Amino acid sequence: MAELTLGVFPSLVGSMSLDFSFRLAEAAMAKGHKVNMWLSGNAVMMSKKGQRAFKDYSYCEKRMKELMGKGMEITVCEACAEARGYHKEDTPEGMKRASMDWYLAKTVKTDRLLHIGGE
Amino acid sequence: MKLAVFFSDMRRTEDTYERLKADKLGVILLGNGIYHAVLKEGGKESPVLTKPGANFYVLSDDLETRGFTAANVNSKVKVVSYGDVVDLIMNDYEKIAWL
Repeated sequence: MAELTLGVFPSLVGSMSLDFSFRLAEAAMAKGHKVNMWLSGNAVMMSKKGQRAFKDYSYCEKRMKELMGKGMEITVCEACAEARGYHKEDTPEGMKRASMDWYLAKTVKTDRLLHIGGE
Repeated sequence: MKLAVFFSDMRRTEDTYERLKADKLGVILLGNGIYHAVLKEGGKESPVLTKPGANFYVLSDDLETRGFTAANVNSKVKVVSYGDVVDLIMNDYEKIAWL
């Protein structure tokens, strides 16, 4: 088992890269790997709980919660979240908030790092 | 260095791409990047596919989402699943980059 860290910056709306990130994480975990995810930039919109699923509209909260339930570690950039008005009380259960130091530490220790840029 | 790069867009990213050097290079096409695997422009394949020595892959889910099948894919490109992508980045390549 190896460790994969994903640095994810794209938003849910207007990009399919965030959806890809969760699908890749799911596939990696299914193969027994540990996955960490850093949400930053516009990807911090995933740090708002209670997102509503509409038909034919991007929605990742359910998959994200399932993956966290299976052990995926997700940390959101606190500054990026606060800048967009997402506060600690908005954060889904199990999701951490931290400074970029968390991500930098993971980049050093992880076996594989994929940094997925934003829009 | 064994390097895998992800192409998620059809936009021209060859400037960065052409500068990449690796002992082993893998190019994984996903999202709108799958069009590099299936479309021709002026009768020519995408410049992305002309990188000497590179191995090319395209994500099947993103291919099918856009109405293509393996039959439409350039013969240089291997169709892969999400699980295959995991194996590529964990077993076949040491570094991975998103272009």
